[in-house]
Parts: sequence; C-alpha cells; structure tokens
Amino acid sequence: MSAPTRIAGKDLKLRVRDRSAIIIGIVAPLSLAFIFNLVFGNAFDPDEGIGLDYGIVDLDDSEITAAFVGVLEGAQDEGLLTITPFNEAASAEAAIDEGEIDAFYLLEQGFEAEVLANGSPTILVVGDIDAPTSTQIAGSIADQFSTGIEATSLAIGTSAVIEGVSLSPEFVAGLSSDPSSAAFSYRLIDAPAQTRQLDATTYYAAGMAIFFLFFTVQFGVLGLLEEEREGTLPRLMAAPIGRFAVVSGKAILAFVLGLISMGVMVVATQILMGAQWGAPLGVVTLVLAGVCAAVGIMGLVASVSRTPEGAGNLGAIIAVVLGMLGGVFFPLGNGDDLLSNLTYLTPQAWFMRGVADLADGAAWTAALPAAGAILLFAIVTGSLALVFVRRRLST
Amino acid sequence: MKVLAICLSNIRRMLRDRSNIFFVFVFPIAIILLIGVQFGGGVDPAVGITAEDDGDIATSITQALQTTEGIETRIFPGEEELEDAVEHGNVQVGLFLPAGMDEHASSGQIVDIGSVVRPDGFGRQLQSVVSSVIAAVMKPVGAAQFASNETGSSFETSLQVSGELSETIVATEVEVRTVGEALFPDTLGQFDLGAAQQLVLFTFLTALAGSSALILTRQLGISSRMLSTPTSVRTVITGESAGRFGVAITQGIYIIAMTWVIFSVSWGDPLGAFLTLVAFSAVGAGAGMLIGATLNNDQQASGVGVILSLGLAALGGSMLPSELFSPTMQNVAHITPHAWALDAFAELVRQDATTIDILPELGVLILYAAVLLGLAGWRLRVAITRP
Repeated sequence: MSAPTRIAGKDLKLRVRDRSAIIIGIVAPLSLAFIFNLVFGNAFDPDEGIGLDYGIVDLDDSEITAAFVGVLEGAQDEGLLTITPFNEAASAEAAIDEGEIDAFYLLEQGFEAEVLANGSPTILVVGDIDAPTSTQIAGSIADQFSTGIEATSLAIGTSAVIEGVSLSPEFVAGLSSDPSSAAFSYRLIDAPAQTRQLDATTYYAAGMAIFFLFFTVQFGVLGLLEEEREGTLPRLMAAPIGRFAVVSGKAILAFVLGLISMGVMVVATQILMGAQWGAPLGVVTLVLAGVCAAVGIMGLVASVSRTPEGAGNLGAIIAVVLGMLGGVFFPLGNGDDLLSNLTYLTPQAWFMRGVADLADGAAWTAALPAAGAILLFAIVTGSLALVFVRRRLST
Repeated sequence: MKVLAICLSNIRRMLRDRSNIFFVFVFPIAIILLIGVQFGGGVDPAVGITAEDDGDIATSITQALQTTEGIETRIFPGEEELEDAVEHGNVQVGLFLPAGMDEHASSGQIVDIGSVVRPDGFGRQLQSVVSSVIAAVMKPVGAAQFASNETGSSFETSLQVSGELSETIVATEVEVRTVGEALFPDTLGQFDLGAAQQLVLFTFLTALAGSSALILTRQLGISSRMLSTPTSVRTVITGESAGRFGVAITQGIYIIAMTWVIFSVSWGDPLGAFLTLVAFSAVGAGAGMLIGATLNNDQQASGVGVILSLGLAALGGSMLPSELFSPTMQNVAHITPHAWALDAFAELVRQDATTIDILPELGVLILYAAVLLGLAGWRLRVAITRP
C-alpha cells in the first residue's frame, strides 16, 4: 500500500468513527431533498399545479351561446379543462368561494340578439382573484370565441361593401359558402417539445447532493491544516515518503468522501424518492467532474487559510454562496438575463444543467458539455491550490 | 449580572468570528434582495418568436404579442435556438413564423404557423393566450379570403376593405372580473413576503448554530471553570440561554431594521412584530441549547443544526408561503414554530393586526420556548455537573 492511500485510509476510518462526515455527506442532503420535495413538489409539479376548472352560466340559451358551450365541452373532451354548468351567477360565485372552480362564464339573456343586431354583446368572465392565470386563460378562450364571431361578421361585411349592397338577412342567405370559415385562415401546428428540465424530485436530489458535496470534501482537505496545527505534519514530512504523499493522501480522502456522498445520494434518491437521474454513464461523468471541482475549490480555500477553523468558515461561505447562485435551492434568473448568466460562474449551475440535459432519456453524451465546464473549474482551482500548497510546504 | 456577563461574552464570541458576520448580517440581506428580485416582481411567462421573413402577417403577430399584457416576448434568431430555449424552460411557448405567410394568405391558402409548447407548467395555458392574439391578427385576413372568394375581387382589395371594417366593427366584448379576497394583496411590497420568511429562517439557523459554541464551551472546560466560581448551575444555564437568545434577537432586530430602511418592508404593528421576534428567538435559543446539551461533537451539531433549520424552515413556509401548501401540508406546517411566527407576521402586515390579535400565535411560540428551554436546561445541568 502506498503512503498516500495509507494516509487516506487512516483518515477515512477517523471520519467514519466521527460520524460528522456521514451527517453532512449523506443524512443532511438526503433528508433535505426529501423535505423540499415534499413541500415544493406539488407547487412544482405541472400536472397538479394548475388545473383549469371552469363553470358556465348560460342565461341566453340560444344557438350562439350553445356553440360557445360546445367549444368549452370540446376542450373538456380533450382534457384541457373541466366545465360545470350552473343555473345562476350566485351559485357559480359560491363555487369559486368553495374553491370548486377557478372562474365562470356568464352569458346574459339577449346575447344572441345583440350579436345579430351588431350590438355589443358581452361575455363576462368572473374569476377567483387568487387564480389569475386560470382566469386569464378563461378570458382568452372567450376571446378566441368572440374573435370567431367577429371574423364571421367581418367576412359578411367585407363582401357586402365590395358588392356595394347593404347588409340584410337575404344577402347573408345568398352567400355561396359559409362565412364562419373566415375564422380558419390559419392553423397552429404543434411540434412536440422535449423537456430538458428537471422534475421537482430530481431537481432537489441533484441540488442537495451538489450543495453538500462541497461541505463533505472539506472533511478531507482540512486534514492537512489539522495535521499542521496538531504538529503531526512535520513528523509526517520527516518520514521517508514523498513530499506530496501527505497532500495526495488528503486529496484522495476528499475525493473518496465526495464520491461516496454523491454515489449514495444518486442511488438512494433514485430508489427511495423516484428521482430520475438519466443515463448512468452521463451521471457518473458529471459526478466525477463535480467531485473534482469540489476538491479543487475547497482545496484552494484550505491552501490559503491559516487555521482549519478559518478554512472551514471561508469554505462554508463559498459553498453557500456558490450553491445559492448555482440554483440548488431554487432556479435563479429567467433564462437569458444577467442573473442567469452569472449562475454559470458556478460549477453547481453546470451540474444542475448537466443533469437536466440528461432528462427525458437523452444519451449520456448530452452531459459532456456541462461536465467539461465543471472540469474547467476543477483544473483552474486545483492547480492554484497545488501552487499554494507547494509554497506552504517548502517554508 | 453574571447572567448578563455570560450572555454578552457569548455575543462577543460570535461577533469576533468574521464568517459569522457574513452569515448573520450580510447573507440574509443578500438573500432577501435576491428573492425579491427573482420572485417579487412577478415573473411573466415568456413566448419566444422566430420569424423567417418580415412580411405583414409576421410583423403584425410579433407586434400584437409584444403589446399583450402579462406575457413577455423574446425574439430568437433561429429555430434551433428557440427550440433549445423551450426545452430548457426559458420560454414556455415557441412560435415559428415561416417564410411566405403573406403569399399563402393572398392565394387563399390556410397559413400554417408552427408552435412548440412545453407540456408542463404554463405551456398549454400560455398557448391559449397566444392563439387568441393570433386569431385577432388573422381576422381581417380570413374575412378578405372569404370576400375575394365570394365576390371575385382581388385579395389585396378585400384585405384593405376588411382591414378598415375591422376597425369599426363592434366587437364582442370579453369582460374579466375577479371576486374574493386576495391572498397576497397588491399592496404587499416586492420584498415584504420574503423578508418575514428569511427573518424566521435565519434567526433559527443562527440560534441552532450556537449549539456548536455551547459544545465547545463544555469541552474546553469553560462551564466547569464557571461552576468552580461562586456561580450557581442555574445562573450558568440561564446565562448560556440568554447568550443564544441574545444572538438570535440581535440578528432579528438587524434584519427588521435593515429591510425596513433599504427595501421599505412594512412590519406592521412594531410592538407585535417585536414580541413575535422575542418569542421566536426564545424558541430558537431553546432548540440550540437542547442540541448543544445533547450532542458531544460540534461538527455533528452543526450538521444537525443545518438539517433542522433548513428542513423546519421549508416545512414551516419560510421558503414557499404555506398558503400555497395543500391542506394536509398546512397542518403539517403548523408542527413547526416557523409557521406560527409567519402567521403572526402575516396578520400584522396584511390584516393590520395588533398585539391582541396575534396573542394565540404568541402563546404557541411561548409554549414551544418554555418546553425547549426547560428540556435544554435539564439536559445541560446533567451535562455540566456530570463528574
């Protein structure tokens, strides 16, 4: 057994007996991922988040209002919303209070007469003040229907103007084709979208794993400073081993602790919570890169600190700030603003992006760009740490 | 007096550590700012557009979407970039406006518009808003197609007529009204909601972090040295509790003052807010003392402290308002002292409540504090007098 692995093995035994590494590396991320998923899972989950439950009060009971009800029932059949008929506005309003529906449509008596007389018919949408999105959608469905009516009358009106005749029921009856076709001058063609974004469970599993990883590797990298303080470092240096054996030992320990923590997190959240980490090879690549970056950054912190406490405190600040900015607790920014671009200055954000790129059954190679970015952090901070440690050991 | 001395030395010890200055004073304000910027402004769902030509129809649709309230419009250079943005959730709906839409329309064909919609979140809903905007833009086009077909006049002439007519035609009006009392009234400031949440989260976190200091106090033999002086166990325990409490309340007052000054956060009735803070800090002090008296390893204690303070904060509504929880989760939330403190702050700010109105919440918090401090005192007495 070589000197570095022997040193790492001794420290590993120490950390396991101490149990604090287990608390920080496994218990903390696992329990917090579980709680966050429990609390935010529903708010996050699109299927449960916004259901569209509408009511309709049709006081006119005419052909046109029946057409509108037909449109809504069609949308119900497609599973886009639910629609409940009510006899009067008061009972529909009561249903809003009870939280049974988000909004209802009110078609007043005389709606059709107004339309035919080119008057000003009104579709009233009454919505729950705390369901603004659902209410807005109810409004836009009504908008589309009323635009359809308008397109029809506009088509008739335009023809009449061009023909130079005045509008009359006879003119409408004499049209050779159906004027309501004017509402169908375009088609929206849906292309299916992949989601390269994480579900809540995977989001918090990945977020907590990468957040606590930085604290976990500290148990390794701080070892060097502890040896220095306890006075065991000069004794180790006096031993017939390479100068960097001690440093390598601590780095190996940090790496192993990080790998164990991440490995347990990935497997446990997948089995216990149903997180979906995606292609195993891609996850392994990301985890390896992530652990390297954590060891590099925390190693750099330790190499410039004087005492283990100082390194621990500075490391905590950096880990918390990077984690927060990297969006491990909640996503930051809205995609392309300054804040979102700032997040990519952290390996945490790249890790989250990498896991997201693997979502929806993507091939493992999808994680490579993110893993590359994370490795860049590891290389830069790791080499700086080595320079500082070399200087430190030689004095 | 001795109690005060022990308490003050604890506060001094905390302030000497520069990382504490960061976590206790700088970080909370930074988080309140970040959360206010991220969520307080109300994020509009976004529509991405990429147009292959700048014909009349493409321009009108883009302009109409840009002037629609409640949605944000972003222009993308190409299909690939737009698809990528939809996949990553940066925009919820993507719209491809293909080349030659005007030519298709004038030759009487149906114009195809491509859209990519996220299957989750606001995607479907936003699409219905987008299609109603497109429907309005395409209204005169459809009418012109019909009229030129019907009368034999050219599409261009018909479009001109239908365009003019559509200005004058009486629209079917869609009137949207809302009923009910708003959960989060408009008067609630951008930072108001986040400030109370973070106040509760951080005072508890700080109080629990104090447990490691207590463990070090015991391990370094400071408590036994204090006991060797003519100082009773009761005084030492009270002093240590007062220390945890002092640290928490210092931070609490600081956060309230700073958010009030910098972000103009309203805290409602000052007495009520202060009493809630006092009661909650006592709960935090009790919890911190209990951990510090029970565990024997300061690193373990800080791990447990982080789990408890973040976990309870999430459950208690410090990260997502508990009003948005399911009914079951709302009940679960009220196991935590956080939920009671947040209820009190919410009543003070949103309903202009006075101290009398929040007495039930204060009562629950005081009960928590009494139980935790009692337990902690007992455990600490055992721990520091054990031979």
